Amino acid sequence: SSAPQPVSVLDRRRIEELVKEVDSLEQMDDDVEDMLMQIADDFIDNVVSAACQLAKHRKSNTVEVKDVQMHLERCWNMWIPGFGSEELKP
Amino acid sequence: AGQLQSCKDENFLHTPSLMCRLNAIAKKYGLENVPQDVGSLVSHATQELLRTFVEKLSVIAEHRLEIYKN
Repeated sequence: SSAPQPVSVLDRRRIEELVKEVDSLEQMDDDVEDMLMQIADDFIDNVVSAACQLAKHRKSNTVEVKDVQMHLERCWNMWIPGFGSEELKP
Repeated sequence: AGQLQSCKDENFLHTPSLMCRLNAIAKKYGLENVPQDVGSLVSHATQELLRTFVEKLSVIAEHRLEIYKN
């Protein structure tokens, strides 16, 4: 069986747009963009692996939004609004 | 009265490759395919993380220039 070809989830153009959003005059080195892409990759692996472990812990066979939310809140101090409507957060 | 408007929520990350990657991780843990809304949440969280980084880098870079000026 052939290994799946790794595909980039993040486009360099997206990072450039984000930088322009933060500061329209900001210039960013290619090296820094590469680093940000690596950080994003590691973050995705970390969050999804942790969410899978949480899903397994509650004896579910599917990872759900609440698993991701719990990890993001506890380990990254991050709350993304607009997902899941079971309880409202301030 | 206020008017509510909505716009399409476009993912920051490339959705097909992201879902492919999430499903591969889920499979490793013996879980079923990941729902789309989980992918969307991961995409938003990644965008938020990078935005925070870029904001901090912007401040740090400016600070470094201040030192050069003096």
